[in-house]
Amino acid sequence: MTETFDDKLNRAARQLSTEISPEHDLWPGIAEAIEPAPRRSRWTPMLAQAAAVVLLVGASSGITYILTSDSGGPVTQVSPELVFEQASFGTDYNLGPEFQEARNGLRAELDAEMDRLSPEARADIQANLDLIHNAIVDINAALAEQPDNVVLQQKLSRAYREELTLLRRVGGLTRNVMTRNDI
Amino acid sequence: MAALLTATGSDYSQSMASATADIVAEEDVLIRRAKRSDARAFEALYRVHVDKVYGLCLRMTGNVSEAEDCTQEAFIQAWNKLDRFRGDSAFSTWLHRIAVNAVLGRIRKSKREQDRIQAVADTRPAALETGDSGELRDLAQAVDRLPEGARHVFVLHAVYGYSHDEAAAMLGIATGTSKAQLHRARKLLAQQLEEQGFEV
Repeated sequence: MTETFDDKLNRAARQLSTEISPEHDLWPGIAEAIEPAPRRSRWTPMLAQAAAVVLLVGASSGITYILTSDSGGPVTQVSPELVFEQASFGTDYNLGPEFQEARNGLRAELDAEMDRLSPEARADIQANLDLIHNAIVDINAALAEQPDNVVLQQKLSRAYREELTLLRRVGGLTRNVMTRNDI
Repeated sequence: MAALLTATGSDYSQSMASATADIVAEEDVLIRRAKRSDARAFEALYRVHVDKVYGLCLRMTGNVSEAEDCTQEAFIQAWNKLDRFRGDSAFSTWLHRIAVNAVLGRIRKSKREQDRIQAVADTRPAALETGDSGELRDLAQAVDRLPEGARHVFVLHAVYGYSHDEAAAMLGIATGTSKAQLHRARKLLAQQLEEQGFEV
């Protein structure tokens, strides 16, 4: 008896991992929420939330633009300047050399591939990277006032990871654009 | 020889049953302590169950950042609602229900905030983070691309093994809708996988 697609799908679905470890410990954020904490000002978490939203919406629009844009046009380099405000923050977060190597590698790769994109697409990507940079700066400023704020630490860690993901995604997408045009 | 195998198998079964009973008993103790506002006991419960809850959130949202937020929200809600846990179902099932609610609540909220989940989904693909490999990763990516309703039913029913009645109750939909969404999910997955060159 031959196995139907549904049978194969069911079998494969049951093999997907159901237990997945988060990339980092989520407990500090939970502990902060469930344990009574000393009174703290509200503006910094709100600022961090706002920065995170700006970061995410900006990144999304950049990717959407690339997906709908054609390549071509004169070659210009995108400024690679995104700064690390802090290499480590709190007790749980440390941007090690692997992170910085990965980021620098992706950035160099992206710069090379950006040559194939239109000036508008390049400008849009740069604008989105600037948004991420601004978000990182804002969260860092908030952290400078509340260095022990676990939520802010998580937001900053996430912002750095979002930047890496954006670089990786844009790099992959530019390769896809090239492939389609080459065909 | 057969008797030896039988005896060994029986010993193994008893040993496993005993270990499982120990774990359940230990969990009961932790739950009782957590109900008395013992955060350390609750942290121990978190350590035991976080991978199950995060896994479900990641499969349902298709996004790492949202899954992290939903996981935190689920455990915070679990802490607040712990008094209501009477042990009618396994603690992990109870947590799963809360996690599904956290995901659905976040989606509703995000829709009001200009489809933020979609924006996030564009930037943080989940399939790279699940530990699946080879064809399973391709399937996981295809599942991530399913429309929300179909994805939720597929994850709960096909991946986590909940019945249509259970999945429907968790998602707040009719059982028939759950079945229809599963049918839709399978059809869309077949299309996606076929386009990628898989034999369907």
